[in-house]
Parts: sequence; structure tokens; C-alpha cells
Amino acid sequence: MKLRHLVRKELIEIVRQKELLFLLFVSPIIQIVILGYVVSSDIRNVPVGIVNLSRGQTAARVIERVRRSPLFSVRRESERSEDYAHYLKKGEVKAVLVFRDALDRKRNVLKYPEVQVLMDGIDSNTAMIAAGYFNGIIRDTILADMEKSGRGLPVAGRPVFRFNPQLRSINTMGPGIVAFLLTIITMFITSASMVREKEQQTLDTLLMSPLNSLEIYLGKALPAALIGLVDMAIGLVVVVLWFGIPFRGSLFHLLLAALVYLAAILSYALLISVLSASTQQSMFFAWFSLILFLLMSGFFTPVSNIPQPLSFLAAINPMRYLVQIIREIFLKGNGIAYFWKDLLALGAIAVTLVSISLLNFKRFISR
Amino acid sequence: MSHPAPAIAVRDLRKDFGVFQAVRGVSFDVARGEIVGFLGPNGAGKTTTIKMITGLLKITSGTVRVDGLDNRTQLVQVKRKLGYMSQKFSLYPLLTARENIEFFGGISGLSPRERARHQARMEELVPAAVLRQKVQDIPPGLRQKVAMFVCLMPDPGIVLLDEPTSGVDPEARRVFWNDIYGLKKLGKTLLVSTHNLDEAEYCDRILIIHNGELVAAGAPDELLRQRRKASIEELFKDAIEEHGQD
Repeated sequence: MKLRHLVRKELIEIVRQKELLFLLFVSPIIQIVILGYVVSSDIRNVPVGIVNLSRGQTAARVIERVRRSPLFSVRRESERSEDYAHYLKKGEVKAVLVFRDALDRKRNVLKYPEVQVLMDGIDSNTAMIAAGYFNGIIRDTILADMEKSGRGLPVAGRPVFRFNPQLRSINTMGPGIVAFLLTIITMFITSASMVREKEQQTLDTLLMSPLNSLEIYLGKALPAALIGLVDMAIGLVVVVLWFGIPFRGSLFHLLLAALVYLAAILSYALLISVLSASTQQSMFFAWFSLILFLLMSGFFTPVSNIPQPLSFLAAINPMRYLVQIIREIFLKGNGIAYFWKDLLALGAIAVTLVSISLLNFKRFISR
Repeated sequence: MSHPAPAIAVRDLRKDFGVFQAVRGVSFDVARGEIVGFLGPNGAGKTTTIKMITGLLKITSGTVRVDGLDNRTQLVQVKRKLGYMSQKFSLYPLLTARENIEFFGGISGLSPRERARHQARMEELVPAAVLRQKVQDIPPGLRQKVAMFVCLMPDPGIVLLDEPTSGVDPEARRVFWNDIYGLKKLGKTLLVSTHNLDEAEYCDRILIIHNGELVAAGAPDELLRQRRKASIEELFKDAIEEHGQD
């Protein structure tokens, strides 16, 4: 079988490049570990300033809870109202809590203190999450007071978080990182493969051989797919063992989704490779595409946040479906019955990309 | 009495790249068992013509027949008859010479036994230590030898060599031309492009191409006699100047 020789040749070329080997098999581990810690929407040690103008015990109890929380680090405390604006402006803190006593004028007694939560909105994500936590601390303090005095709320919603009870963002990010790895590795290997043949002038010899265009196409795609799957396996082991992310679904389903995805992404990368005039150009295209795929995949932010006029880009983004499917398999343990629509959409994109790419490949070869 | 078709028959061959005309109506034959030198300066249209004969480049107009087969409609059969070595010897630099032989033999459909026979034959021509080296690390002369060997493995009847002696030392060039004669004795037809005019003396016939047009064609001695020139270099200048005046 002639194809076997082409696949073997591609693998030898990869193995002979030590730097590339490192990038393919060691850097993914480094990437996962770093991304796992860095790409997190969890907040920790947010620097906080407190301006306490209240003389009541309630404010002191809220402040104590804020101090004990691992989410916040109290950096500044003051009893002067003019200080809060200064703290935020200088960037010493990301949030300032201002406590003031409020007077019940009818009964001339102090009510619960008024709490003003001032946030630095530049880092909007942290600001939103931190504001939510502050409100939680204040609400819990009031509820604890009410329970002590024998009063309770008539209705209290107690959320139960399933599939990710501790709301760890790594649980959401980890499966996405596996999809990211599969994309970056296969995209970069494949997008340069045909251009390299052109640049080292081996393409002509290849085209003069009895290999047909489909064999050359597969000969370029299969080694990258194999390496992609190995990297995905490395990624799985790291996210499960290192980060303790539960894998509740079926490995077979994951492999199935990965294979459909690989058909799509490898076709896209081969399309880049035949359309590019140089390796540099192909790398640029690959990088540009990767960023678009990533931003519109739901990896960082929900796909529903994408504005309507751009939503069609997300709809044709294969990575979006893989990220969704991997999360379903990982965290919910869902099978095809739950994610068949995503798999179908991914399959349709794969068929379209394979067709376009193969047509261009044939045209390129018979130029 | 019917004459056998020439090994290569090129008629009014043209290639345009946009507004640039790289080859302008070239016609020639290469008879079976002949060594034909394709001479011309860099950019004259030698590589473009050879690539059109192989089918690697689409023809703008004109025809190419290889062993009587039209290379537009019967390209798969045409490729089986041709061996082609490109300017840069077309070997994979990260593979060893042995791996290159194994690879090209494999994709050419040679059986494991045939590939083993070729490996053994190659070891007679090139030291085994060299064959174990990556191609990027072996000298150009030996690289050319390996590339030539790879090109001949499927046993093509017609061999097209594009600038096979560029970048190799004089001794390697001499050895190369000896090998070419060896191939002629085996009945192969050879079209060899070069810009080294002194190599014309090795050829049965030469074709001189300039600015995409054929400006002279014939046996070297015959051309020298016709044009009353003492050397191929003078002949070459004369043909180009004459063409420039037309």
C-alpha cells in the first residue's frame, strides 16, 4: 500500500526535528498546566479597601467575613470617607466597601448599616463576580442575624450546582483545553505540510509518482491526526490526574467526536497549505484562524454572548461544537442522545470542509 | 513503412503566466535512445518546457506526446513512461539516503524484494555510511547520484533531467555524464537541461532556447559547421544575437 510509505515518511520527518518533537509532545503538558491555572474565571485574593464609617456591630461582622474570605485580601482600611475614591484611582484596590450607619428617623434608632460596594470596572469579569460575592456575604450576615432572633425568610432559594458542585472554573476550562490542544497541534503541522513540499521542491517528485491526489491528501492528514490523538490522550491524562476534573462519559464517544472534528480541522489546514505561497504565510493563516476559532468556541466566554450579526461565524466554527461535546462528555457523562445535534452540525461542517479542501487540493495538484 | 513515434514530440508549445509568455511556440522531437541537451540561460524557459512535458505544469496551448501518448488526456500513462529529476534533486533532506530510496520505491509501487535489490545496488555505488546519513548532510555530488538513482528506480524509458549538474564539482559532472552514457546504452532516451554550454559536447543533439523560443536545434558538430563557429559558446551567442535581430 503506497499510502503507508507516505505516512511513514511524514512521521520520520517529524521525529527528526527535535524541537518540533518537544513542541508536539512536551509543550502540550506545559500548556495545559499553565492554561489550567491562568485561564480561570475563579477569583482569589482580590485587593479590597474598607472605609468603615459605621459604629455598629453588623458592619464589623461583615468586615470580618470579608477578611476571612480567601477571595479577598483587605489591603487598605480607613475611617475617612474621602479615602475610597483615592484607593480605586491609584489602583491599590479593585473594590472598596463603604459602611455607613443609617438612621431610622421614625424611631430614631440605627438600622442595618448602608453598604456601598464600589468596583473597579476595568476588569469587568472580576468586578461582576466579586460584587456577587460581596452581596452574598452581606446577605448571609443578615440571614444569620434573622435566624438568631427567631425570624426567617418566608421563601429562600438555595441553589444546587450539579455537574460542577464547587463551581471550579478549571472543570469548565479543562475539557476546552483538550479541544484547544487537538486544534493547535494538528492545524500547525498540517497547514505547513504541502507548502514545505513546494519549498524544498519535493512536490514535483511526489506528483510524478503513481500516488493519486486522494492518497497524497490522506498521507498528509493521517500523521497529523495520529499526533493530534496522542496529544489529546496526553491532555486527558493531565486534566484528569493533575487537575482532578472528573471524566464521567464514554471514551468511545470522545474519540468519535474527535475523529469527526479532525476531519474538519485537517481539511481546513490542508486548504491553508495549498493556498499559501510560503510557510510563513501558512503559519499566519493558521494562527489567525486559530484565534478566531478559539474566541468563538465558548472556551472563554459563552457562545450566547456573541452578538447576533457575528453569530453565523460561531455557527460554522467546528471548535465550538467540539468544546460543547467534550464538556458534555466530561462533566455530565452524556452520550450521543444528548449531543447528537452538535455532532451532526460538526459532521456537516466536516463534510463541507473536506469537499472544498479536496477540490482545491486536486486543482492544486493538476495546476 | 510506418516510423515509430518519437519518444517526445512537442508541437507549438506555449505557456503564459498572466501577461508573461514563458514559452512561445516551441516545437521539437526527441528520438528514442537519444541524448538531447536543452541549453539556455537561466529564465529561458527550459524548466517550464520540461514541466509541461511531465504534466506538472498546465499547457497554455500546443501539444506534447510522449511515446505517442497525449499528456493532456493520458497523463497517468505518460507519467509511467517518464523519469524526472528536478533542479534541487528533490530528495527529502531529513530522511537518510536509504530512507529516500525506500520511500520513493514504495510510492512507485515497487515490491519489497525490488526495493531491497535497489538498496543493495545503491550500496555498490555509494558508501553505506553515506546512505545512513540524512540527505541534508551529504555532499551535492552524492546527493545528485542518489536523486538520479531514485529517478531511475521505476525503470522509465524516457528520462528528463532539469539542470542535473548545477552546483556540483567538475569531477562529479564528468562521472554524471559517464552515467548518462551508460543509460543511453541501456536504450533510455534522455532530455537534459543545462546552462553549462560545455556540456553540449556530450549530447547527440542540442536545443538552444532563449526568451521562451527555440533558436537553434541540431547535432552540435552540424550546427558548428553550419554556422561556421569554433565553439558552442560562439554558436550560442550567434544564435541568440540572430534571434534578437528577428
